[in-house]
Amino acid sequence: MTDAPMKLTVVGVETPKWRKQLTSVVSHALLIGASILMLYPLLWMLAASFRPENEIFTSASLIPSSWSIDAYFRGWNGLRTSFSVFFTNSFIISILSVIGNVFACSLAAFAFSRLEFRGRKIWFALMLMTLMLPYQVTLIPQYVLFRQLGWVDTFLPLVVPKFLAADAFFIFLMVQFFRGIPKELDEAAMMDGAGPWRIYWKIMLPLSTPVLATAAIFTFIWTWDDFFGPLIYLNKMSDYTVMLGLRTFTDSTGTSDYGGLFAMSVLSLVPIFLFFLIFQRLLIEGIATTGMKR
Amino acid sequence: MTFPLSRRQFLLSSTAALAAGALGTLPSFAQAANLRLIFWGGQARADRTYGVVDLFTAENPDISIDGEFLGWADYWPKVATQTAGGNQPDIIQMDYRYIGEYARRGSLAPLDAFVGKDLDLSAFDEDQLRNGTIDGKLIGVSLGVAAGATVFNTKVLADAGVEIDPMRWTYDDLLNLGPKVSESTGGAMAMAPDGSGIELLFENWLRQKGKALYADGQPAFAPEDVTEWFELWTELRNAKAIISPDEQAIDTGQLETAPLVRSKSAMNFTTSNQLVAYQTLVPDPLGIAIFPATSPDSKGGHYRNSSQYFALSSTSASPEAAIKFINFFVNTPEAATILGVERGVPASSAMRDAVTPTLDERSQMVVKYIADLGEIAGDVPPTPPASAGEIEVALKTKSQEVAFGAQSPADAGPAFYDQVIQTLGRSS
Amino acid sequence: MSIQNVASAPPSAEVEKVSGWRRIWQQDAPGYLFLLPWFIGFFGLTLGPMIYSFYLSFNHFDLLTAPRWAGLDNYMRMFTNDPKFSASMRVTLFFVVFSVPLKLAFALGVALLLNRGMKGLTIYRSLFYLPSLLGASVAIAILWRQIFAGDGLVNKFLSIFGIVGPSWISNPNYSLWTLIVLSIWQFGSPMIIFLAGLRQIPQDMYEAASLDGASKWRQFWKITLPLLTPVVFFNAIIQTIEAFKSFTPAFIISGGTGNPINSTLFYTLYLYQEAFGFFRMGYASALAWVLLALVALFTAFSFLTSKYWVHYDD
Repeated sequence: MTDAPMKLTVVGVETPKWRKQLTSVVSHALLIGASILMLYPLLWMLAASFRPENEIFTSASLIPSSWSIDAYFRGWNGLRTSFSVFFTNSFIISILSVIGNVFACSLAAFAFSRLEFRGRKIWFALMLMTLMLPYQVTLIPQYVLFRQLGWVDTFLPLVVPKFLAADAFFIFLMVQFFRGIPKELDEAAMMDGAGPWRIYWKIMLPLSTPVLATAAIFTFIWTWDDFFGPLIYLNKMSDYTVMLGLRTFTDSTGTSDYGGLFAMSVLSLVPIFLFFLIFQRLLIEGIATTGMKR
Repeated sequence: MTFPLSRRQFLLSSTAALAAGALGTLPSFAQAANLRLIFWGGQARADRTYGVVDLFTAENPDISIDGEFLGWADYWPKVATQTAGGNQPDIIQMDYRYIGEYARRGSLAPLDAFVGKDLDLSAFDEDQLRNGTIDGKLIGVSLGVAAGATVFNTKVLADAGVEIDPMRWTYDDLLNLGPKVSESTGGAMAMAPDGSGIELLFENWLRQKGKALYADGQPAFAPEDVTEWFELWTELRNAKAIISPDEQAIDTGQLETAPLVRSKSAMNFTTSNQLVAYQTLVPDPLGIAIFPATSPDSKGGHYRNSSQYFALSSTSASPEAAIKFINFFVNTPEAATILGVERGVPASSAMRDAVTPTLDERSQMVVKYIADLGEIAGDVPPTPPASAGEIEVALKTKSQEVAFGAQSPADAGPAFYDQVIQTLGRSS
Repeated sequence: MSIQNVASAPPSAEVEKVSGWRRIWQQDAPGYLFLLPWFIGFFGLTLGPMIYSFYLSFNHFDLLTAPRWAGLDNYMRMFTNDPKFSASMRVTLFFVVFSVPLKLAFALGVALLLNRGMKGLTIYRSLFYLPSLLGASVAIAILWRQIFAGDGLVNKFLSIFGIVGPSWISNPNYSLWTLIVLSIWQFGSPMIIFLAGLRQIPQDMYEAASLDGASKWRQFWKITLPLLTPVVFFNAIIQTIEAFKSFTPAFIISGGTGNPINSTLFYTLYLYQEAFGFFRMGYASALAWVLLALVALFTAFSFLTSKYWVHYDD
């Protein structure tokens, strides 16, 4: 599978029509085959959400012996607090995180990729270092810090770091993309008397739609999927996120509602999938650099 | 220096949280208290627990209780973080393994001063009190009696023509009857899982031989015992009385990975309070039996464990209110009826009598099993030493090495023993 | 002038001439102003806990009582007397070496395929991203057993050819591979980043090349790949760091045990067991800093060699 695309791109410039069609058919066949393989587990999960509880772990088939949407109702109100609360919380946290991350990280990335200042390389190296330390060992000191700030039991520990560009991944990602934007553009703008802020705001950001969209997608999905932060910092069930709610569904030591777990797992994918669908358009539309003189 | 925060500092720094309503109201009356309660479990347990909480707060309007529950795997890192961060809930559900770790480090308050006053344990079974006592101090109030038990699929055994005497069956039975299950299911199932890595089962076997896991913080068994143990299971494995190492290794401790649930074996070695949970995942009716005996009249292997405890945080601002709740939880018939035997059979004989008539068939079986065990069971062992949890993990890994053929039982015995000595030495 | 080329590290002569506060304001201030949010976060939230964990690595710390100074004990033990340390390091290195290149190749291959402007592109891209949406959901553990257990999907498929497969997920010889497959299965993030990178390559370069009669194959090697190197570089670094730190797959699939026979005992899983299972946060912190040193060395090496193969536009 891995070398297939290479072969497909070999097709010469003057391709006869039948060959183009053949390539297209082969490509689609490959992609469809791969899709099914990729998606079997998800389809299984979908099926599990509709089948009787005691059949879930004994059947590998994708077709339940009997269908029921009961698990969805059971799951939605299965915990003391309804999932509508969890979804709302997850939305608030994820949306705020997207705004914070895209803004703060692009500022930092602009500085690292376009501005000259002393100590830049050291700061950049330190920033990368924050990416390398396993979070398990900073968890407790960080908890103490947030507790002293009085932030435990609020969304602040989950959201504020995003506005402070705490995730070096996104800074690094944007740096790599900003460096791909032709320098002639900023130089031309400088000639016209533009300062750094205007260059950032009027040139870099508009030209960086693909990477900003990428950052937005990842932030939303990863924040949505994160459970360790919410687990540690949120104590009241009315503050829980969807992922935390989902984890509360199963307890390895006792009775668990697996049908409800799978039903809610399926539903939990819907918002992030929709977010992905909407924002991926920006990945395509962002062909801003097309036709640009290099 | 456990991130010391004075209470004053804590109050100052939590004003923001207060504004967000996180901590509710500060105690303004002498009696009023806001308690935090944390436990692990699923929604079924939470429903019962909150039922009792509601009952309690209705009777005690000046006390409010914020409950929180999590799955087992998430529970411990959170409790550890909260404890280290100086933000421990007032009432903490504890497990027999962790209660020693927390108590010996001073995170849990001794309850002796409350006993006989706000905490009435007069109807409690003696062994349940002893289970909750660490280094001479009462730390945990048992929430249920549980004991090692074999949970089995009655239909699969019947279909194979296998019959066991639930209170007297033996390892020989397993060896002799086991192959029948394998035959009748065309090799799809075995009679039992591979129990060589289950510490509770190993301990049971040792106790039947008159030995124990630990005594005075040292192993109370010899390397040869470990070898003999692994040889026993190798023989069972070769006879196809138990499942293959491949299948056994899928069991990672979660209920849904158990061979019994996955229709790979006709039984599972677990604790009695798990019967009801297993039944929800297995379509055929389940039965309950003792761990296999070394001979039909062997005694003393089992003991009446406590499935879990409530313990009081040593930093609790309202210990009296917390004790009042714990006392209500374990001593009120209404509470007992709501709780059922979901956490195990009540430790108080009065509550047992109150709850038994209200139970369904499967729960009745559990109560009867615990009662019948009375004649077979021995004394409860002392609280395990620190690092016992690590040794439990090591036994599982070692059992896999033997099962997959990476090490012979003869080598594995001394190797495991050395590991135990080293681990115990490291913790002190 | 404050705007400077990244590649030209030494400040230009013109900048040197300006001096004092004026120079700081003109040359350094904009950079630091843009970095202000990051600085607040770094000094306010990140640095303290990092330093504290470094301090803890020289202590015995059981989470519940005060840390006790241990000097180099933790580090000594790690390198002289801890078979689980070496076992987990082996597992992690194996995982890094196989999962990272395979995942990147897969992600790049699919991204190229999806970048050809064919019909249904959006649908495929979305479908391929779906597995990555699952993240660390508990459902994954259950799904993976459905596929790789003894009676799972893979063996059902193999049995068509008369092959009786083992239980891949629980056999110590293969269990790590099922985690590598899981990592590759969730190739969505690098794929999206590759796609965004491909989108940044100006179309007119291809048009010009086509006019010159360059084949698609040649265009890939001469245009696509060189212009994509910053993104390849990024993905390689990030995926390697992430693979070294990989925790969740092993945690959910082995139920936190790292079994069978420690064959899936990832480094961070071992670290987690030590910290929260066995109350040895000091030792866990030492483990963490050894990992950091290792990953930092690798990253520094990558950056040093990057100038020979990564092509920036500046």
